[in-house]
Amino acid sequence: MEAQKYVWEGAIPLQIHLNESEVTTLPPPPPALILAPRIGYLPLLIPLIKPHFAATLPPGVDTVWFDYKGLPLKWYIPTGVLFDLLCAEPERPWNLTVHFRGYPNNLLIPCEGEDSVKWSFINSLKEADYIISGNCKNVMHMSQFDQLELWHSVMNGNLEAYLRTSSKLKFGIVEDEYTLKIDLCSQKSRKTTGEVGMGGQMKTGKIPVRLYIWSVSEDFEDFEDMPKIDSWDKISYINQPIEIHREEGKCFTLHDALKSLMPEFLVDKSLIDEESFRLEGEDEQVILSEDLSSNRMAAEGREISCQSVESTCTSGAAEIKLVRIQGIEPKLEIPFSWVVNNLKNPEHFLHICVCLKFPQVNSLDR
Amino acid sequence: MASVTESPSSVRKVIVQLKATADAPILKQNKFKIPGTDKFAKVIDFLRRQLHRETVFVYINSAFSPNPDELVIDLFNNFGVDGKLLVNYACSMAWG
Repeated sequence: MEAQKYVWEGAIPLQIHLNESEVTTLPPPPPALILAPRIGYLPLLIPLIKPHFAATLPPGVDTVWFDYKGLPLKWYIPTGVLFDLLCAEPERPWNLTVHFRGYPNNLLIPCEGEDSVKWSFINSLKEADYIISGNCKNVMHMSQFDQLELWHSVMNGNLEAYLRTSSKLKFGIVEDEYTLKIDLCSQKSRKTTGEVGMGGQMKTGKIPVRLYIWSVSEDFEDFEDMPKIDSWDKISYINQPIEIHREEGKCFTLHDALKSLMPEFLVDKSLIDEESFRLEGEDEQVILSEDLSSNRMAAEGREISCQSVESTCTSGAAEIKLVRIQGIEPKLEIPFSWVVNNLKNPEHFLHICVCLKFPQVNSLDR
Repeated sequence: MASVTESPSSVRKVIVQLKATADAPILKQNKFKIPGTDKFAKVIDFLRRQLHRETVFVYINSAFSPNPDELVIDLFNNFGVDGKLLVNYACSMAWG
């Protein structure tokens, strides 16, 4: 699959600066320039970064972490997703700060290098397996050797090795008439990389998805003008599988998929002009807050942070301003099956970054 | 189903059932409610305190270890069984 190759070859150019307070030499060391694989994780880059700064570090034990404009970066989120999420306007190179001391344990879960990342990866893979097949047998039945091979293929960005090893997982791909139409060139490769066995075919199965949402309350000319994300509280993270609904003659699009995850927040664009208070779906669990500094809406136990400067926000009339998957902004009409098969990460989760715009309303008639 | 006038503090709660695995001690109270908006880390910290151990291995449905940053409500929605979130705990790695 061509697209999968591009995804695996995708990388973010990083310019990594050492945290000022850890610079003990003059002149300070220049930043390290590293090309970080999109599907990789920041802690895996430490062996490449450390040599640049080793000579200047103060004495002590290394506890490495990264920040972007002051925001500590969650190391278990793939590098490409972090970039798509935190840089509305892609910054190249991406300027990050590395710290070797003072791990913010109150903000980040601990990381002990490669082992922690591998543990996180394998468990995400098991979680995906559970979502897709209802249990973790596929991963559990993989030999330790194969599991290691799989992990190494991800660490090294070796797609060939990955496809070889992951075919033993029998997860299969999403199959519908749109997969076949669009992926005509991959028909050949599908025959050679092994059969998608009975147990592996996902017909109307659930798709593991990690959805990251941030919201704005006005339109911006440039992404550069968007308020920056300075706290993880400003991002709503939803871990919820998407079920592909098949309807005769109708394509289940990316837009359909997103609507299924956020029914209470998304309205068809055509309805926005008519009435800004109309809600989709029957659940109207809307709780309005009048906190001016950070407005929140709660629905079904989940809160979506709304960055509004002045007025309070209402729900139900959100507009999708941006959808980013693997650095791509796909058209919402794209068949969701194609997105899943080509843009998912190696642990079989599809990571989607979404920016929603909630309109500002001055008067509330609730 | 919350009504519009309900205060934000009445967030949906999730029932968590703790189950000891292998050599782990069985807790007197092994079932409790936690707000859905809490992170799974809260369950892990609770276990650490109750078991007086720094390292605890925690699994959902004896299957996998979720990321501590995951929201309890998401884990319940995705993996809950019989209205509960089943959490297995061990003092050594049970399912590697």
